[in-house]
Amino acid sequence: MKKFLAAAILVLFSSSAALAQSASQSEQAKVFINDIGNKIIKTADDKKSSVEQRKNKIIAIIDGAIDTDWIARFVLGKNYKNTSDENKARFSKLYRDFMINTYGPKFQNYNGRKFDVTDVSEQNSFYIVKAEFLPRDSNTPIDIAFRVKERSGKLMILDFIAEGVSLIETQRSEFNSAISQKGMEKFLEDLEVRIKNLKSQK
Amino acid sequence: MLLASTGFVNTDAFAQIKKARKEKVVFQTPAQTTIAEDDFETYETEQSEEIYDPLEKYNRKIFVFNDAFDRYFLEYVARLYRDKVPKEVRSSTHNFLNNLYLPISVFNSLAQGKVENGLATFSNFLINTTLGIGGLFDVAGNRGLKYNYEDFGQTLGHYGYSSGAYLMIPFFGPSSTRDLTGTAVNNAINPIGFNLLEVGGQDKLLKTEYLIAINVTSGIDQREGLIDIVDDLRKDSFDFYATIRSAYLQKRQAEIKN
Repeated sequence: MKKFLAAAILVLFSSSAALAQSASQSEQAKVFINDIGNKIIKTADDKKSSVEQRKNKIIAIIDGAIDTDWIARFVLGKNYKNTSDENKARFSKLYRDFMINTYGPKFQNYNGRKFDVTDVSEQNSFYIVKAEFLPRDSNTPIDIAFRVKERSGKLMILDFIAEGVSLIETQRSEFNSAISQKGMEKFLEDLEVRIKNLKSQK
Repeated sequence: MLLASTGFVNTDAFAQIKKARKEKVVFQTPAQTTIAEDDFETYETEQSEEIYDPLEKYNRKIFVFNDAFDRYFLEYVARLYRDKVPKEVRSSTHNFLNNLYLPISVFNSLAQGKVENGLATFSNFLINTTLGIGGLFDVAGNRGLKYNYEDFGQTLGHYGYSSGAYLMIPFFGPSSTRDLTGTAVNNAINPIGFNLLEVGGQDKLLKTEYLIAINVTSGIDQREGLIDIVDDLRKDSFDFYATIRSAYLQKRQAEIKN
């Protein structure tokens, strides 16, 4: 009986400890997204910095927060198996460049009044962090969601969802279609050209 | 087990460094080697159904046509509308058109058993039609009365109908066999539309000219709302057709689930 009690207490304790841990992790996910969102709108609103400075600051914020290696693997989808290791590495590197140089300049226009996390939920092994962004010139908040996961001891963004449309799901569909039409080599070349153009844009 | 797996990861990373040096390829961060395959699987099972596009060849041709029509005409008109018409007028037009479609949404909410959403939508319609002067002002929305728009395509989806074949409709854009059926039913039951059911002994409540005017204005209003998104997608996409297809199907899936 004593043994049973001890076991029951142990089970109770460990499950509440697990609960507490998951609660604190979801709290961390909330703080993580809240922090990034507010940093971005603050930087976008910083009139003292030049356009170039603002762009670089935003790139620095998102570069450390998005797990582009994971996403690169995801967006290759069915092409992953047939891609050589060399091209996988090449794509992974190009993808990171593509993401930060596409979204760095884009987020500069996100000079909103408010960025608030409204909800955090667990979905399988991911956290879905929902947020509301209020643009400066509008009274209608925009709903966005982030998919977050702890990767190598650090919370990272794995996806960005707006109006039910997942960024990485869309990219996977788009990239796979482009690859099946042009072939991997041509696609990687196009990606290189795109990044070069993005970098040269002011 | 934990130690063994950590050890495995490290040796794997080490082997990669050696291989990378040998082949002179750019080395990726060790994090990449620890990516668990099950991550991708759990992610994929949550995502929307497989894309089914048996008519892709024809759809792409129509897409090229629609894209040209958009660039040379619709987008031009939408930009003109944005530049020349004051924001207040555009906003009222948008509210007015939106309000006209709410009865359909009430019907579909109830058809899906979403009674609360149906009532919220109905309240919205009543308040905006009266206090909002025929729907010109979104009084209810501004007071925080929220609802989800439901159409018949979503009702079919709610009862388990998959989207079927993806379709590109000339002038109108993306759809699917399910959603096209849904649009036909929506038009049939729309009290201001064709009213095929001939409720009250009247088969058309509005003259055809008015219906055309409503639909054209609605098209311009919708296109104006999409100017920035379409600009971005056109610029960023490596296959615009595939991007639109994926985004459309995902959006519909999300609308069905809500």
